[in-house]
Amino acid sequence: MDSAIALLALPGQAMIRFLSYLGQLGLLLGELWQALIKGSFRLRLMAQQLVTIGYGSQAVVIVTGAFTGAVFTAQSYFKFKDFGMGSTIGSVVSVSLCRELGPVLAGLMVTGRVGAAMAAEIGTMKVSEQVDALRVMGAHPVDYLVLPRFIAMMISMPLLIAESIAFGMAASVVVGLAAFDIPFAWFWTHVRQHTNLEDVSFGMIKGFVFGILIVIISCHQGLVASNGAVGVGLSTTRAVVFSSLALLIVNFFLTMLLNYFFPLGTAL
Amino acid sequence: MTAPEVQPKIPFIRVFGLKKSFGTQKTLQGVDLTIRHGETLVLIGPSGEGKSVLLKHIIGLMRPDAGRVELDGVNLCTLRERQLMQVRRRMGYLFQNAALFDSLTVAQNVAFPLKEAGVRDKAELEERVHEALDLVELSEHKDKMPINLSGGMRKRVGIARAIIGRPECVLYDEPTAGLDPIVTDVIDLMILRMQKHFAVTSIVITHDMSSVFKIADRVAFLKNGVVYFDGTPDELKNSPDPEIQNFIAGRSGMKA
Repeated sequence: MDSAIALLALPGQAMIRFLSYLGQLGLLLGELWQALIKGSFRLRLMAQQLVTIGYGSQAVVIVTGAFTGAVFTAQSYFKFKDFGMGSTIGSVVSVSLCRELGPVLAGLMVTGRVGAAMAAEIGTMKVSEQVDALRVMGAHPVDYLVLPRFIAMMISMPLLIAESIAFGMAASVVVGLAAFDIPFAWFWTHVRQHTNLEDVSFGMIKGFVFGILIVIISCHQGLVASNGAVGVGLSTTRAVVFSSLALLIVNFFLTMLLNYFFPLGTAL
Repeated sequence: MTAPEVQPKIPFIRVFGLKKSFGTQKTLQGVDLTIRHGETLVLIGPSGEGKSVLLKHIIGLMRPDAGRVELDGVNLCTLRERQLMQVRRRMGYLFQNAALFDSLTVAQNVAFPLKEAGVRDKAELEERVHEALDLVELSEHKDKMPINLSGGMRKRVGIARAIIGRPECVLYDEPTAGLDPIVTDVIDLMILRMQKHFAVTSIVITHDMSSVFKIADRVAFLKNGVVYFDGTPDELKNSPDPEIQNFIAGRSGMKA
């Protein structure tokens, strides 16, 4: 009987843990809001984070975008040519890159690169009492650690996604021209005809939302790290896993919601 | 010769019935303590009895399970983090492991509290950093990173950082642990000097009994989560309690 009750309690406990986790993220978001309106801005820290998050992530995001564009072009062409529509693949590639592949893949790469670093750095500061040292000296950890990262991420993420999409398109053009002999004029006409400003907005809005997710989840993991090196390792792993999963899940709902405002296919 | 004027000792920090547990471990079980303006209180007691935990409650880094800490009559335990930030600017804190920012140089670490307090003038910052580092005899190491310092040097940088803002009260968590006898004496004298010249209130955790008798106005012995003894160094020395005498003399009662 007891074991049956214990078994029943398991999903309940998991649910409570999950809700408590969401609550903690909500509190951190609230604290971040306080920091935005009341806290002190530290331009030097913000600039440092811009370099780390934005400038430093470019290579990763460019390679991701370019090869995604290239492989997507090839796969689309293999099928589309059966219908004699090989030259129209530019439109498919550009809309997919703008709406889904660009934001999601760039977001995942930034999570791996930047989210992990945030959790590890803040987590190490937490376990070595440097976060407490900040508090003792009158600097709010959210003002000092989270706010600069948040602002840098808000500036960087849409730009990184735009860069990823641009290089994806460039790669698509190169592959289309070089491998499949699609005339550039045809290719580009299809791209222009079927890609709207709305598609681009779609990707940029996703960039902002993903940026918030990555910063909040990763910084939270850093701030709750405990138990020395093992704890920092665990926090770093969790930051990447939780951010990636949250990004993919939120992406689906965001697509459904945004499609209401920016419906796909109006240009057709 | 006239006797020195007796200063009225006004309570500065008061701790009432402070309780704190970590899981099943009851660390503080009702600590009552008063620290008066301008006095140096030394906290002693066996390791793991909550001396650091008590210090962290006094500066509001930890929230108690029960009881409260008052600073000049203001209950710190009900303040929000952003309100506490203002109160904390009146205090300095030395962490047991110094807790220096490893991304900043020694000078940047020491300048941190001043910058947070809004001092922007470069010349003033430089002068005060130099002055603070001079006190702990580390001026020539100001451009080093904390990782390149020895444990004792890191601790001294931590002390410089704790006192640079000229706080009314400094909390030291084992300021002389791991330091050689000469530097220990330098630190002890610095604590005395700060009290004499700037009327700084100090709370010092230490295991070094010679430091206790050199710097303390009052000694509190923390044991089993409560203040077991609270009195002057002389009263401590003359206490008939065998527990206290064994602690002072460092006798464990074990045989080799």
